[in-house]
Amino acid sequence: MKKPHRFYGHGIPHVNSADLGGKLIVVEGADGSGRSTQIAELVNWLETSGHATVQVGLKRSTLVSEELERAQEGNVLSRTTLALFYATDFADQLENLILPALKSGFIVLADRYIYTLMARDMVRGMDEAWLKNLYGIAPEPDAVFYLSVEPEELVQRNLSKTATLDYWESGMDLGFSRDLFDSFLKYQTAMGDAFRELEKTYKFNIVDANRSVSSVTKELRKKITALLAE
Amino acid sequence: MKTFAESKFPGRLIAVEGLDGSGKSTQIYLLKRWLEAEGIKVYFSEWNSSELVKSATSKGKKRELLTPTTFSLIHATDFADRYERHLVPLLRAGYIVLCDRYVFTAFARDVTRGCPPDWVRGNYSFACAPDLTMFFKADLDVSLNRILEGRPKLKFFEAGMDLRLSNDPYESFKIFQGRILDQYLAMSKEFKFVIIDANEAVEVQQVIVRKLVSDRIDLKKFKRRSPLPLPPTLRHKREEVIERDEDKTA
Repeated sequence: MKKPHRFYGHGIPHVNSADLGGKLIVVEGADGSGRSTQIAELVNWLETSGHATVQVGLKRSTLVSEELERAQEGNVLSRTTLALFYATDFADQLENLILPALKSGFIVLADRYIYTLMARDMVRGMDEAWLKNLYGIAPEPDAVFYLSVEPEELVQRNLSKTATLDYWESGMDLGFSRDLFDSFLKYQTAMGDAFRELEKTYKFNIVDANRSVSSVTKELRKKITALLAE
Repeated sequence: MKTFAESKFPGRLIAVEGLDGSGKSTQIYLLKRWLEAEGIKVYFSEWNSSELVKSATSKGKKRELLTPTTFSLIHATDFADRYERHLVPLLRAGYIVLCDRYVFTAFARDVTRGCPPDWVRGNYSFACAPDLTMFFKADLDVSLNRILEGRPKLKFFEAGMDLRLSNDPYESFKIFQGRILDQYLAMSKEFKFVIIDANEAVEVQQVIVRKLVSDRIDLKKFKRRSPLPLPPTLRHKREEVIERDEDKTA
């Protein structure tokens, strides 16, 4: 685990990327793509094999997670504010969890990373160059797995889990449609397009997650085993 | 960076910048009182005051959770919220918006804290430039004395203690403010700051401020009771209402 990390852009003041060891593994995908299930599975497997892990995700920072949640409940967030609020949440976890863990040689598992945030903001019309500058603070992961699921399948999985669709995961703030179901499909399709756009710059491992949990797990383990052997 | 006028906003934005203790808040308050008395549509917005973000910022400051990066981002979030929810709609509606500190505060402070200048400026690039920026320049000792006179308890981030410049908060504050002043002065030309001598008496400064504002901005265009043009359907309705009101008075 000696391969040094590098930042996408300016990085973080007073942090030398050469001091970052460990591995940073990102799992991306929509709600219902099986992200959380796969991460729980990976943590279990890695820890059993003797690796120390740390997990991060969106809206989990000490600094702003509660405030961000409250703001989203009120639906009063405009797009630039939403983008910067999430960037603050990310930066807080980056500096307090991700970077210290990498310095100590841990495996960091990120349940979503800057790509979901960038895709969401792009769908809302934010400039891609602006986003790239903003997220120049992020270290480049060792692997990014994008769990790809067709929007029609995502609808089924979300409904069977919660019997409804989430306001923000349906992009209701965008006014695609007043109908939650229609809006969800349109929004998730737009998110898929945004990810394909980001893929031109960032390297993603696209994993077909329309398949069963166990076959996805198998593929992830195989790829991570290869990564750890590097 | 285009100004609001150049971006075809009907409103105008005036910003004041300067160190803590430069007297800029007093001056912009007096400017606001005058404009209100003149019947002008005016709105005042203060740095770090968004209802949405404030509690996170004060928690971060109190518990000393903030790093240069999160300090910068949380203030950018605060600014974005005020910008999108208040400033833009008001400027579209033809208001004069007065800002006690604007993006230049971030440019000066965050860069002093070690954030890369391009990164900070890029993050704020969604904002138009003020139509007038007044920089209140007092001698460093004068500003420091105004703040330190009563030997107040300086807050951790206010004193720049996160920069580890000195273990003594007063010493740290002095060094920190000096560096911020250097940053401000370095960008003064680029962003066309109008420099006001803040060592002068309050009244003297206010005369200069009011003259500057009325020279730069055609204030009579911003009076209340000059309704903005409405779309034809609504205009028709308003005329009806006005006629009805006239009937009543007659």
